[in-house]
Amino acid sequence: MNKTRYWWATLFLIPPLSVYLAFVVFPLLSSFYYSLTDWNGFAVDYNFVGLKNFEKLFRDPLFSNAAGNTIIWTIAAIVIPTVAGLTLALAMYERGVFANFYKSLFYLPISLALAVIGQIWLWIYQPNWGLINTLLRGVGLDDLALAWLAKPQYALIGVIIAWAWQQTALSMVIFLAGLTAIPQELIEAAHIDGANYSQRVRRVIIPLLAPASVVVIALAVINSLKSFDVLYVMTRGGPFHSSDNLAMFMYNESFQKYNMGYGSAIAVVLFLITLAVIAVYFRQSANVERLYD
Amino acid sequence: MTKSLMVKSRARLGNTSGANSASGRLPIFIFYGLLTIIVVLYSAPSIGVLLASFKSTSEISQVGVWTMPRAFDLANYIEAWNRGNAAIYIRNSFLVTLPATAVSISLGVLAGYTLSKLTFRGSNALFIFFVAGLFFPPQIALIPLFRIFNDLGLYDTLWSLIIIHVAFGIPICTLILKNFFAAVPTAIREAGIIDGANEWQILTRLMLPLSLPALAVLTTLQFTWIWNDFLWPVILIRSDEMRTVMVGLASLKGQYSVAYGVQSAMAVYASIPTLLVFVFFQRYFIRGLTFGSVKG
Repeated sequence: MNKTRYWWATLFLIPPLSVYLAFVVFPLLSSFYYSLTDWNGFAVDYNFVGLKNFEKLFRDPLFSNAAGNTIIWTIAAIVIPTVAGLTLALAMYERGVFANFYKSLFYLPISLALAVIGQIWLWIYQPNWGLINTLLRGVGLDDLALAWLAKPQYALIGVIIAWAWQQTALSMVIFLAGLTAIPQELIEAAHIDGANYSQRVRRVIIPLLAPASVVVIALAVINSLKSFDVLYVMTRGGPFHSSDNLAMFMYNESFQKYNMGYGSAIAVVLFLITLAVIAVYFRQSANVERLYD
Repeated sequence: MTKSLMVKSRARLGNTSGANSASGRLPIFIFYGLLTIIVVLYSAPSIGVLLASFKSTSEISQVGVWTMPRAFDLANYIEAWNRGNAAIYIRNSFLVTLPATAVSISLGVLAGYTLSKLTFRGSNALFIFFVAGLFFPPQIALIPLFRIFNDLGLYDTLWSLIIIHVAFGIPICTLILKNFFAAVPTAIREAGIIDGANEWQILTRLMLPLSLPALAVLTTLQFTWIWNDFLWPVILIRSDEMRTVMVGLASLKGQYSVAYGVQSAMAVYASIPTLLVFVFFQRYFIRGLTFGSVKG
């Protein structure tokens, strides 16, 4: 009896496990191996160079630039979609059937590809007839109408805002689900005790949204580390690498300059950063769960 | 269960009387006025693309994107379809997305069922091992996979994309299906065994019909994510006739650098399939997105 059960379990697990091992786990670990080589992407032969790639990495100004931009992106990812998503979710919460139509409009960007979103947002920043400059000229601020994405000081934040546009919708969806899960009695009780709306939001609703907030922030941070499409379409990391993040820097080194060993070293750094993020995430969600038990 | 239902119905009653959560908030007409402004601003990027897709290059250079088009001219759509290769790109996207969605979910069914109903020592650790794949940026595996597909002779073929999306879809499919099957009563499996069914028959004849909602959730999610993927075709596809629609859209920028109307039409083409999924299956889509984020 038990034997046939194990036999079936093994049989069922072989296909998913072998595909997962061969095309996710093995390549992921191979990056560590390649990071110790000078492979150029084509040659059959390559040399082991030890930790040279990492030594070079930490002296490379382009790396510290990309790492710095990744940190900026991550901070923006923690702040913008969380605040905007929570505000929208609170506004839409329990507003009836009519609000559902609006909800769908806010959800819409989630189903759009980031490549399309990048393309769309180029229209917003376009210097001659883009939305921002059209509005600025409309109110007479012609001097402020810049070629936004061509300016090193604005390119990165311009791309991040386009990305956050979609991420906000995702955060809003999760916050709304979290709001629906809050027992109404708690909010009612606060109301009876004389708490006004803003007190109820700050003292009752937001603390009870802690589990949803952890998920929202974790998703935003992980998505910010992955972000590539929107950057590729909008600026390709330019001008002058001003909007490079680690993913774009790695792509350029590996698939434009064919320094695949060096690119693998960047991948390893990205792996370690992700690992740190996951550790923080699990600690936070464990804390939140303890709060609820 | 019954208790939570009661709480819910009481909350409903409370709301219809308007006594609790709505008070202290903005009056309804100001609220909808503000919300309409925000929605219009929020939707402006999408509206702009739609407007531009009906305008000729000269019309855009004269009046810009943000006015109503003079006529709903389909010239850009025809141009993108015929000379912009939209037909080929969209066909490629379907050839990748449909099989990859189906196979990744099938593998998720196998893993999810086994890890919830045929548990063994270490099956929980194996579950965490599967789900861990969700967290890592795919960039980490980029270079080795580039090499693997070159060695397999699958570089610049749609096969490479299908395999990638199947493999990278396993974590989310396993996560959702394992939790779904865990909620299905074990008695159903036991009844099947008493009737002499083997595990394969139990899975396909008893469990799968029950899991249609979970399969619907995963189909909408996987279809949208695979269709919208950009990174892998950038890395693994070289020739134009193998491009998926997202990469085709980006490559159009070089070919039609100032033909914003044609680019917009292509962006609309690229978005129609996922928008249709969103419009018709929104319920499942949203359920998938919020999966696991809310306790209970």
